[in-house]
Amino acid sequence: MKILKLPKGKLDLFASVVQQFGELHAPVEQDGKYVFKRLARWPDARLEYDRTILPPKKYFLPPRETLFRYRPGEGFVPSTDGLDQRIVLFGVHACDVYAINILDQVFLGKYKDPYYQARRRNIAIIGIDCTPDKQCFCRSMRADFVDHGFDLFFYDTGDYYQALVGTALGDDMVLATGNLFEPVGPADIDAYKERSWNKRRAFHLDVEIRDLSEIFEMEYESGIWDQLGRKCLSCGSCSMVCPTCYCYDVSDDVELGSRAGKRTRSWDSCLYFNHALVASGENFRRDRASRIKFRFYHKQRGFVAEYGRPSCVGCGRCVSACPVNIDTAQVIDRLRRVEDVGSR
Amino acid sequence: MSKPKVGIFGLTGCAGDQLAILNCEDRLLDLVALIDIRDFPMASSDGNQECALDIAMVEGAVVTMRDARRLRAIRQRSATLVALGTCAVWGGVAAMDRDLDRAKLLEEVYGELGKEYDSCPARALHEIVKVDHNITGCPIEKEHFLAAVASLLNGDPPLYPAYPVCTECRMRENNCLLIERGELCCGPITVAGCDARCPQLRIPCVGCRGPVTDANPASALALFEEKGFDRERIWARLRTFAPVGVAS
Ligand code: SF4
Ligand code: SF4
Ligand code: SF4
Ligand code: SF4
Repeated sequence: MKILKLPKGKLDLFASVVQQFGELHAPVEQDGKYVFKRLARWPDARLEYDRTILPPKKYFLPPRETLFRYRPGEGFVPSTDGLDQRIVLFGVHACDVYAINILDQVFLGKYKDPYYQARRRNIAIIGIDCTPDKQCFCRSMRADFVDHGFDLFFYDTGDYYQALVGTALGDDMVLATGNLFEPVGPADIDAYKERSWNKRRAFHLDVEIRDLSEIFEMEYESGIWDQLGRKCLSCGSCSMVCPTCYCYDVSDDVELGSRAGKRTRSWDSCLYFNHALVASGENFRRDRASRIKFRFYHKQRGFVAEYGRPSCVGCGRCVSACPVNIDTAQVIDRLRRVEDVGSR
Repeated sequence: MSKPKVGIFGLTGCAGDQLAILNCEDRLLDLVALIDIRDFPMASSDGNQECALDIAMVEGAVVTMRDARRLRAIRQRSATLVALGTCAVWGGVAAMDRDLDRAKLLEEVYGELGKEYDSCPARALHEIVKVDHNITGCPIEKEHFLAAVASLLNGDPPLYPAYPVCTECRMRENNCLLIERGELCCGPITVAGCDARCPQLRIPCVGCRGPVTDANPASALALFEEKGFDRERIWARLRTFAPVGVAS
């Protein structure tokens, strides 16, 4: 991996150059929160943001999209709308890049999703390091640092951004800027290490994920799930804002007066009443408690069995989006405790 | 195949749902090419009031004995009955305080004459007859009506969201009025389908589409109380579009 540095004062120049690689999108402010959006002008970018309401997932797996149009006797035509649009996502945090790498495992693994694949190919990612706040636990989830999945990744080291070059495209971006980037020297290395050390100490939250899967296995009957089930509103917010929730629903919108139509997919959530409802009328997770339990088990246990790590990256979004304060880090913490009110 | 015979009726309501149908302007011709609208009193006074119908769509709540009789008659002549709009599906605004003493209310408003009036506590259609499908909304979304007709013509049941307004609100990446501004937003317990129209305009959801499947009102109540709203105000908001105890 190539490591270079960019003088901070040259960032806007860099931003203007990378526009040749795609439409520039970055976090901008929206009533005190942040959202990834197409930049109208560079000064609108807020690179010191905490977290965006929706994760960059929305670019790769949009909340609603048309998959194809069909007509009996003629077959179907896949939708290509927007799939070839080139975008540069500027300012993606490590946990969110990590989450995209997790989505890659799901959508580009055994069964490749062509829509996701096309977008992943055409959307460049420039990451940026961040400072944890009270809801971040990405370090606990081993997602506070990423070594792949981005084209460039910037670390603020004072007067410079130190840049990891992740891909050939990232390298092209560097080259396109002429000589804006400089080689790093010993002082820069020290500055990076200091930043890394400070970040480590800045976390407020610390949850232990070693043997967590096993503890989940043991606590399957814990009373905590009923407690959460009584509180949860099944509003689905936690899934919508989660960078790694990838459940989707597929439905057909038929045209008036024919059997032709279009097939749409939209974000789904295991918290919804009908998520495990099948054609016979049987609902495998009729109780809300079993649904919220499922969300935790899928992220922290099922995914570990399948892919070797929890799918949660500790971004803290579900915590800020839950109207009734159901807090993932707290739930894990309670499950681990020896005597807990909820346990048995 | 002959075109399915359809009737569109209004009981006690604001006629907003029937208006939404008439507002499908550019699709109305497609529609009449596919269905045979036999009885639609709001659009035409010379409908056939007797014939058997394949599909009846009924707006409004039942608030008089006359409404109830009409509804039973409609049910009897129709193979499929669709409730149209929040009043028909849930009772709606008219049903808000349906537990109050009716006779007393009539007297308060109309004095002596009140006794003569045909008036009963408002009820949703399903509390009187069997309803096959519900298209909720205050008023309904015309796209939902067209989609429902398209599905019914194919013999499929129309499908609607079983998730709340919050889902669509989050999909649109709105700031949350409830969490961030402490406003009394009914999004978490109200059924989606309006694409979070109100929160999108930074107005809290008042629940006009009625409760979502498997809503958790107990938790919502506790949450609103915790945010500092008093019980009276919360109840007033929650029962505006669906009375206590009405189950769909
Ligand atoms: S479960 Fe919560 S903390 Fe974990 S990745 Fe999803 S939104 Fe972030
Ligand atoms: S955000 Fe909270 S209330 Fe809503 S579904 Fe998730 S856990 Fe339940
Ligand atoms: S503003 Fe209302 S509808 Fe939107 S997420 Fe918040 S509570 Fe739900
Ligand atoms: S946001 Fe709520 S009040 Fe507004 S249209 Fe939708 S359901 Fe009705």
